[in-house]
Amino acid sequence: MPLDTSTYSLALLRLDGRRWNELRRIHAQISTQAAADGSSYLEMGNTKVICTVTGPAEGRRTAQGAGQECRVEVEISIAGFSGVERKRRGRADKRTQEMQHTLTTAFTSTIFTHLYPHSTITLTLHVLSQDGSLLAACLNAATLALIDAGIPMSDYLCACTAGSTANEDADEPLLDLNGLEEQELPFLTAGVLGDNDKVAVLMLETRVRVERVEGMLAVAVDGCKRVRGILDAVVRAHGRRIVEEGV
Amino acid sequence: MTSLKRSYAADPSAQNLSSKVYVRSTKSGKVQKIVRELYLRQDIPCSSRLCSRCVENAPTDYHNKVSPFVLSETPAGTKSFPQGHYLVPDTNALLTAMDLFEVETAFRDVIVLQTVLEEVKNRSLPLYHRLISLTKNEDKRFYVFFNDFRQETYVVRDAGETINDRNDRAVRKAVQWYSQHLQAAVKARRSGRTPAVVMISDDRENLRKAEAEGISALSLSNYVSELENANQLLDMVSERREQRDNRGGKVELLYPEYYSISKMMTGVKAGTMHQGIFNVSQYNYLEGSVHVPAFERSLLILGRENSNRAVSGDVVVVEVLPKDQWKAPSSKVIEEEEFNKDDNPDVEEGEAVVTDRERRALQEEVKRVQGKGVEGRPQPTARVVGVVKRNWRQYVGHIDKDSVRTSNRESRAQQTVFLIPMDKRIPKIRVRTRQAGELLGKRVLVTIDSWDRESRYPVGHFVRSLGELESKGAETEALLLEYDVQYRPFPKTVLDCLPAEGHDWKVPASLEDPGWRGRRDLRDLLVCSIDPPGCVDIDDALHARQLPNGNFEVGVHIADVSHFVKPNNAMDKEASMRGTTVYLVDKRIDMLPMLLGTDLCSLKPYVERYAFSVLWEITPDAEVVNSNFTKSVIRSREAFSYEQAQIRIDDASQKDDLTKGMRTLLMLSKKLRQKRMDAGALNLASPEVRIQTESETSDPVDVQTKRLLDTNSLVEEFMLLANISVAGKNYSAFPQTALLRRHAAPPRTNFEELQNQLKVKRGMELRTDSSKALAESLDTCVDPQEPFFNTLIRIMATRCMMSAEYFCSGTQAYPEFRHYGLASEIYTHFTSPIRRYADLEAHRQLAAAIDYEPLDPSLRSRSKLEAVCKNINVRHRNAQMAGRASVEYYVGQALKGRVVEEEGFVMRVFSNGFVVFVPRFGIEGLIRLRDLGTPEPEGEFDAENYVLRVRGSREVNVELFEKVKVRISDVAEESTGKRKIRLELL
Repeated sequence: MPLDTSTYSLALLRLDGRRWNELRRIHAQISTQAAADGSSYLEMGNTKVICTVTGPAEGRRTAQGAGQECRVEVEISIAGFSGVERKRRGRADKRTQEMQHTLTTAFTSTIFTHLYPHSTITLTLHVLSQDGSLLAACLNAATLALIDAGIPMSDYLCACTAGSTANEDADEPLLDLNGLEEQELPFLTAGVLGDNDKVAVLMLETRVRVERVEGMLAVAVDGCKRVRGILDAVVRAHGRRIVEEGV
Repeated sequence: MTSLKRSYAADPSAQNLSSKVYVRSTKSGKVQKIVRELYLRQDIPCSSRLCSRCVENAPTDYHNKVSPFVLSETPAGTKSFPQGHYLVPDTNALLTAMDLFEVETAFRDVIVLQTVLEEVKNRSLPLYHRLISLTKNEDKRFYVFFNDFRQETYVVRDAGETINDRNDRAVRKAVQWYSQHLQAAVKARRSGRTPAVVMISDDRENLRKAEAEGISALSLSNYVSELENANQLLDMVSERREQRDNRGGKVELLYPEYYSISKMMTGVKAGTMHQGIFNVSQYNYLEGSVHVPAFERSLLILGRENSNRAVSGDVVVVEVLPKDQWKAPSSKVIEEEEFNKDDNPDVEEGEAVVTDRERRALQEEVKRVQGKGVEGRPQPTARVVGVVKRNWRQYVGHIDKDSVRTSNRESRAQQTVFLIPMDKRIPKIRVRTRQAGELLGKRVLVTIDSWDRESRYPVGHFVRSLGELESKGAETEALLLEYDVQYRPFPKTVLDCLPAEGHDWKVPASLEDPGWRGRRDLRDLLVCSIDPPGCVDIDDALHARQLPNGNFEVGVHIADVSHFVKPNNAMDKEASMRGTTVYLVDKRIDMLPMLLGTDLCSLKPYVERYAFSVLWEITPDAEVVNSNFTKSVIRSREAFSYEQAQIRIDDASQKDDLTKGMRTLLMLSKKLRQKRMDAGALNLASPEVRIQTESETSDPVDVQTKRLLDTNSLVEEFMLLANISVAGKNYSAFPQTALLRRHAAPPRTNFEELQNQLKVKRGMELRTDSSKALAESLDTCVDPQEPFFNTLIRIMATRCMMSAEYFCSGTQAYPEFRHYGLASEIYTHFTSPIRRYADLEAHRQLAAAIDYEPLDPSLRSRSKLEAVCKNINVRHRNAQMAGRASVEYYVGQALKGRVVEEEGFVMRVFSNGFVVFVPRFGIEGLIRLRDLGTPEPEGEFDAENYVLRVRGSREVNVELFEKVKVRISDVAEESTGKRKIRLELL
């Protein structure tokens, strides 16, 4: 039994040795699948996600008729081996559907959908490994893949989580929770558009005292901006390589 | 084509990143592999005040605060380390000698490594919590160093290395790093001496390796022997296994082995075994019982072999024995002291679990039981097959003087002695000590370390000495320790929460002050308080006045403690831990600091005080028309004692409004009481006496039974009414989390014995189908010749009841809320917030229910409230028992050296003795056959008729409920070291 989050106050160190305001290691690559229109691979700590983008392609005819804007479809599949326990999740899994819905609405408002009438953009995400901040990782991976596919959107949509220590007298926000912390602490996921404070996604599913939310949100927004810096560097490095190597 | 490569190599921060992979198995038996990241860093401070480098890059929290550095610049030293030292204990050192580390005089400046902390947590949660609280104690200067997160001290487990070896290596590495780091720090300061960093370990291999690596390391005993009071400290080290193991190869195993956890769990699930709490009978140390849900009556556990090393209070798993071994509960008094006087604590070989005399005593039992017919009603018996959770605590007792080899005070030789606990249900504890001579005749605190199969008695170690036997200080402290009462003075952090004005605090004069927000000004009401004489913590005050419509307005005003004690501050935490104020005969151990309890909160007369008021409109027939709750400010006109109030009410010449109000209250209270009685409230009795003490020395002079006046019940009735009203309000506002109090209906079986006794002896019937039936049938149990008989029956009936308990409303269904004794549907405690924590919580909930202030989240969470309830239930019970024990002690002291003859009643009959209750002193005592005459007369016990016929040197028949004359004298009881009263039959 290793220590749990209650020891945070002893030395201001979290379970994995981070401070309250530190992100986990983020590693990202884009254009990982040549066959896809756009693709990315993203690691936030031990959470690993692959994302591919298909489209914009001619959409299926739906009952509502083809709109003037393109549709965004999101498919998430969570590998059975991704968690601690081997578990198969079917398509109808409620949590997966909810995440799909969140991503769909988030990107429908971020992508310039009016440029592609009568068409569909499909985002396919594969979760290879889970260790907390899953929704945030999916959002980040999707952003990268969309950029790789060259689909115009208003800005980077970057996300991360923030939690709060359970300590009553001195509750402190924590940035970017890992799986173990997520189990023990209340946390929210925030997605921020660009380098300003525009919150595009906000998800809070645990019970938390209302006084704490402000601090958590501030820390999360700050974290999103840092994530944006990292993703931007990845994109720029990739662009430079294309220019230099002409790949 | 791009390929996905391992991403670590490209990452510049990868060198700081490590991962921890471990395997764990879940409850259901699945094996999980857990992978965790580990971010290694360089900004974890050493926390030594000598170091300036670490201060510079010390981490800050969200509020930009740096935690202060802990370890002293000039730590204490010993002979080997004159320059001072920091200690780094290894896991085994902490596990064996936590008591030692908690000593106030030594063991300061200790570095607890993360590796060690984790290991301690794995091995023992209670020890872990004690260690954590040590790190919070500023005087002790304990610092937790997260060595596994610091780059320089992180150790990767080598292939084939055991986890223990890896951890030992990590400890050594950290010690090494610390000493180098400190040297550098001191060099940078260019001054002073470098404290040594000393590893304390009891692992020989670890010590050897440390020596090879040039790390200063000592074994615990070597280190302690250099300290000042080494002998005393050495006794506090737990008795370790290996010490006994190497004492000759073959040891006889006296007790059966425990089943494995998984075997017990499957057994419990399948219903072949049962889990419950092991309780030992007060009268017979060889008889234990375990109440399990599967059986209506408790399972009996007879004899040492069956109780298999379980100590009273442990959670055990038992297996029911075959039916032919079922027995009736013992009707014999068996005390350990009589049987095993001659055990030698040193000799372990040739010990049998059951001595011959014990066996004979048990044998007689069996014969007797089997000889009887249906009447004996054999009860299922069981044997303990495993212990789920030990509930060992620290025990107070005294050293058995017969077990001491040399009582020479100068002798420093270690010897093994027996400690006889004050609590008769706890077996003797074998303790190794170097100070036996000194400890003789003292009250001593010890803990149990282990109880192995080859040892007849548990093994423990000395914690500290409380003082001479029978000295007031030692006995009071012993009592407090025995009932786990927190009696230390309030720490500074708690006192810091008090209002800065101290005794000069006043209700603000201006009505604009925030303190007045939401408060009603009730200063013009004629409020008074009625309490026992000499009461200083006045919780409640009352008033009544006639309304124009003929009804009455009645107000109960309770001290507004929640105004001063805010949730979750240090004072609140201390109060929630203490749970209740404990009243001893000569001493009060407060729940809240004196300033609040006896001054600022106390509703003293003639001054303005904050209060929480319950106001009712009541008809002259005592029907409540409506009730109203509000925070208020009152000014009590007078503080009466019960007697004074009674005199004032009875005095017809007094015609002022205050007295009229009191008369109204009395009139209403009588009607309320009648209504309660009609609803089936019980009028129970418990022996209550008051000890008169000499005012200066507080030495007891006399004992009196308490008198009850009308004014007692006046206050009581309105307090009950207030509690009930508040309970209803809180429950409607917080259906899931109201803190309430319930009193469960006792199961029918509890009364069986008493019913039968009454039927056989007096032909009376006790009906127990409802509280009303019980109350009515209790009223009929009257002996015209003996007015006390009814009280005796009530006392005995009270003992058959369940105890009332606090609970959180979400945990029970509404019908279960019922308070059986008060015949109320719902009940809580509201009226004594100065002395009970439950009331304080009820105040907070009520304040939120009337929208005075928002409810603290801790009062909204069911799990937290449940934890609070659990604690205050225990504290409440302990406080009651401590109070009773204190009275018992003082009765003994008051009777010291006197011989009194008094009337008494036989309360219980055993086959070799009987219990007599003496109403005059509220005491009960056992008279054994052997006390009746020498040689011990023969006793013939007629269990059906509850008669003990004594033949031989003394011929007398003793019947249950019989009135007897006894001579009361006092004697220092050998077995517990208590001064006790002794009864002799005349």
